[in-house]
Amino acid sequence: MTSLLGGIFLGWSLGANDAANVIGSAVSSRMLKFWTAAIIAAVFVLAGALLGGQAGIETLKGLTHFTYNQAIISSIAAACTVTFMTLLGLPVSTSQAVVGAILGVGILNRQLNFEGLGKVLVCWIGTPVGGIVLAIIVYKLLATIANSMNLNIFQSDILLRLCLIGAGSYGAYALGANNVANVTAVFVGAGMLSISAATLIGGLSIGLGILTFSKKVMETVGQKLVKLDPFSALVVVLAQAITVHIYALVGVPVSTSQAVIGAVLGVGIIRGVNTIQRRTLVNVLLAWFFTPFLASVFALALDFATHLRYIPG
Amino acid sequence: MLKFLFKKERQVQELISRYLDNLRSTQEHFEKAMDCYFDFGLGENCDFLITQTHKFESRADDIRNEIIEMMYSKVLIPESRGDIFRLLESIDLILTHFETVLFMIQNQRLEVPDFITLDLRDLMRVSLECSDLVIRQVEAYFKKTEDIKPLVSTIDSLESRCDHMERETVRKVFDSDLDPFEKMQLKDLVNHMGEISDQADRVSRSVHIINIKRRM
Repeated sequence: MTSLLGGIFLGWSLGANDAANVIGSAVSSRMLKFWTAAIIAAVFVLAGALLGGQAGIETLKGLTHFTYNQAIISSIAAACTVTFMTLLGLPVSTSQAVVGAILGVGILNRQLNFEGLGKVLVCWIGTPVGGIVLAIIVYKLLATIANSMNLNIFQSDILLRLCLIGAGSYGAYALGANNVANVTAVFVGAGMLSISAATLIGGLSIGLGILTFSKKVMETVGQKLVKLDPFSALVVVLAQAITVHIYALVGVPVSTSQAVIGAVLGVGIIRGVNTIQRRTLVNVLLAWFFTPFLASVFALALDFATHLRYIPG
Repeated sequence: MLKFLFKKERQVQELISRYLDNLRSTQEHFEKAMDCYFDFGLGENCDFLITQTHKFESRADDIRNEIIEMMYSKVLIPESRGDIFRLLESIDLILTHFETVLFMIQNQRLEVPDFITLDLRDLMRVSLECSDLVIRQVEAYFKKTEDIKPLVSTIDSLESRCDHMERETVRKVFDSDLDPFEKMQLKDLVNHMGEISDQADRVSRSVHIINIKRRM
C-alpha cells in the first residue's frame, strides 16, 4: 500500500487542482455552496473513474513496460513536475506530466510504443482546439434554445443554476473517467493493481483532493479567471466536460485546464471579445512544451539516482 | 420538488409584485392629492391625501429593502441581483419625485396661478401616463406578459412631450408679472413634475438594456 502513496498523492493534488475547472465557476459565482459542489463533484469523479476510466489506463500502461520501481519513479516524477510547475505559477497539466514521466521511463527501457504516443500527442493538440470548437457549438445551441424559451429572470436563473449543477456533475464524471489513468495506470502497468482496483483507488484519491483542498484553489482560480457571465460560464463548463469526456472514450488522459482555456477562447470568438490575456496564453504554451519534457528529465534523474551504488573506497 | 427548492426565488417574485402594486397605489394617491390641490387648493383633504401618498412611499421603501435583503441571502445569480437592485433604486426615484412635488406644495404653501393650471394638469397627466407605462413595462419584464420594446418608444415619446410642456410652462411663468420669488418657486415645481417623466424614461431604458443583456 505504501508504494501506492505517490499515486494517491498525485490523485489528491489532481483533485484539488482540477475541481476548479469543473465546479469552480458555480462556486465562485456563489450559485452553489462549496460543500454541495464538492460532494457532488467527488461522487461523480468516483463514478466516472469506475465506469469510464479503463480506456485511459489501457493507453497509458501500453506506452511502455514498467517494473515495480519504475512505476513508483514515474509517479513521483510526475508529482514533482506538477509541484515544480505550480511553484513557477504555470498552468500545469497532470496528464502531460504523467505521460512525460512514462516517456522518461520508456527511454531508459528502450521500449516506447510510438503508436500510442502518437495518439496521445494528437489528443494533446486536440484538447484546446476541441474546447474552442465545442464551446462555439454549445454556445450557439444553448443560446437558440434559451432565446426561444421566453423565460423571465427568475425562471432563467433557476434553469441556469440547475444546468450548472448538471454540467458540473458531468464535468466531474468526465474528469474522473479521463484523469484516473494519470493516477494509477503506472501501477497497473507494473502489475501491482488490477484495472478495477486502480479506478477505485484513483477515483477515491481524486475525490479526496476535491473534498479536502479544492476550496482554496477554487477561490484563487475564481479571482484569476476572466469575468464570464453565468451563461458563458455554463458553456465553458459544458464544452470542457464534453471535450474531456470524448478523450476519456478515446482513452487518452488530457488536461482539463487546457480544455477550459480552449472553451473560454471559443466563447470569446463567438461574443467578439478578448476573454484571455496574451500572457495567460503564453504561459499555457510554455507549460504545454515544458511539462512533459521536465517530467521525462525528472524520471530519468530519479531512475539514475536509484541505480547509484556506494562503493567503499 | 422544484417549488420547494426555489422557495426564496418565489418569495422575491411575490415581493416584487407587491412593490409594483404599492407603486400603483402611491401614484393613485399622488394623482388624487394633485387633483384635490388643483380643484380646492390646500386644505384638510389635500393634507390627508399627501400623508397617504407619503405612507405608500414609505411602504415601498420597506418592501424594496426586504427584496434586497432577501436577494442578497443567496437568491438569484449575482448578475441578476445587481440588475434588480439598480432597477428598484431607479424606480424609487419616481416615488421620491411624487413626494417632493407634494411636499413642495404643502410646505411652501404654493399657489398655482390660473394661467398655468391647465398646463400643470396636462403635465401631470402625461407624466403619470409615463409612470403608469413604466410600471406595466417592469411588470412585463418580470412576468414576461408582453413585449417591452414598444413600451420603450411610447414612454420615450411621452417624455419628449413632457419636456416640451415643461419648457412652455416655465416660459409662461417667466413671461408673467408674478413676483420673481414666486416665479422661482413655480419653476422648481414645474421642473420637479417634469422629473417624473424623465425618471420614468430612465427606468424604461434600464429595463430595455437589462432585457437585451439577458438575450444570449
